[in-house]
Amino acid sequence: METIRQIFDLLFGVNPELRQIIWVTLRMSFFSTLISSVIGIPLGVLIGSNQFKGKRLLNRILSTLMGLPPVVAGLIVFLFLSRSGPLGTLKLLYSVTAMVIAQVVLITPIMTGLTANLISIKAPLIRETAAGIALTPLKRMLFTIYEVRVQLISTILVGFGRAIAEVGAVQMVGGNVQFKTRVMTTAIMMQTNMGHFEFAIALGIVLLLIAFLINSLVNRIQDRQIT
Amino acid sequence: MITLKNILLKYAQRVILDIPELSLIEGRRYCLIGENGSGKTTLLRITAGTLKPDTGTIQGLPTEQVGYMPQAPYAFSFSVKKNVEIALDDDPNCEALALAALSKVGMISFAQSRGNKLSGGEAQRMALARLIAKPRKLLLLDEPTSSTDIRGMDLIESTLLDYNQACGCTLIFSTHSPAQALRLAEEVVFLDQGRIIERGPATQVLIDPQSEIARKFLRHWQM
Repeated sequence: METIRQIFDLLFGVNPELRQIIWVTLRMSFFSTLISSVIGIPLGVLIGSNQFKGKRLLNRILSTLMGLPPVVAGLIVFLFLSRSGPLGTLKLLYSVTAMVIAQVVLITPIMTGLTANLISIKAPLIRETAAGIALTPLKRMLFTIYEVRVQLISTILVGFGRAIAEVGAVQMVGGNVQFKTRVMTTAIMMQTNMGHFEFAIALGIVLLLIAFLINSLVNRIQDRQIT
Repeated sequence: MITLKNILLKYAQRVILDIPELSLIEGRRYCLIGENGSGKTTLLRITAGTLKPDTGTIQGLPTEQVGYMPQAPYAFSFSVKKNVEIALDDDPNCEALALAALSKVGMISFAQSRGNKLSGGEAQRMALARLIAKPRKLLLLDEPTSSTDIRGMDLIESTLLDYNQACGCTLIFSTHSPAQALRLAEEVVFLDQGRIIERGPATQVLIDPQSEIARKFLRHWQM
């Protein structure tokens, strides 16, 4: 009973650390999703709507990268940003920026792969009709994107969901620094290890609530498209 | 005169289309007929430029003002009116032209409906409106009434005849209905396994075919 009361106090009381963790998590997830979308969606459209030499190989590489283990992404970014790495002079390690970079490495292939898949299903259906009325390639591409707009929004939300729930990469490059780079997942892990289950559960509830909101949003958008 | 010369297309060593020569007079109405897989769609796609043959050329093809309607035309999820307007480039009268074209095919009441909510037959009528909303020199239609009911079929056929008379465009369409070929075409090109078996006035080819293959095929209809 005492544990439940503590969880409620944490959730609805004024706890600066909890608020800071939620804020950093949302900020990191938002920017990594935004950057991944800006890179991944146009790339996916290009790959999905065009036939070119090496496309199969590229798709295979993309599929592999879609399943990239977070710790591997974290390791790559860590090596690049560490003091002796090529980008060491930027001194970005253990910052939110480093965490965003690691997330972008992880999420961009997912965005690209899912978008390419969507477009490659829709594009052939549109191609003949578009050629039949002499639509320009640019218009054809824009119309194709328009036709998959709802699924693209879902793809972006999938990316956000992945970003917010990720732990391995952000732990490696963020370092879980209190009031700086601590996010919900790394905090849950740390608090559990320390035996502070109330704090971990409170964070877990917030994380679940956000996941629920994202899923509700995805379902609502999809329902609107169906009706 | 539109002339297809030495058109050859193979896929995995199989001949899909082999047409040494086919000349088509501008302004006339042609029907491609033949069983499934005889090369009707391939011939239309090559003429429309959406498929490249292994060899061969097409001479006399108007570089612009060619319209092609595939068997399953795509209906975009925006309004039916907008679906027609996209074929009109940036014509200042595109709205009026689109509505007039939709009216001709009996689709005016669907103007504000979403394209992706149309049935197959309605989508075909909308796709035809998209093509006839402006004057064209050549219309290529792949089974334009394959999904329509008899009212839709009648509307499409009468619209095509009117359009052909009004702007003198060449019309090439494929069908599985010899009756439709008789109603709509002046000439029939009979295809079998990618080759032209017989060609001539519609009544002659359909009522009194000369080749054994055409006779066998048309026996199903004549019976």
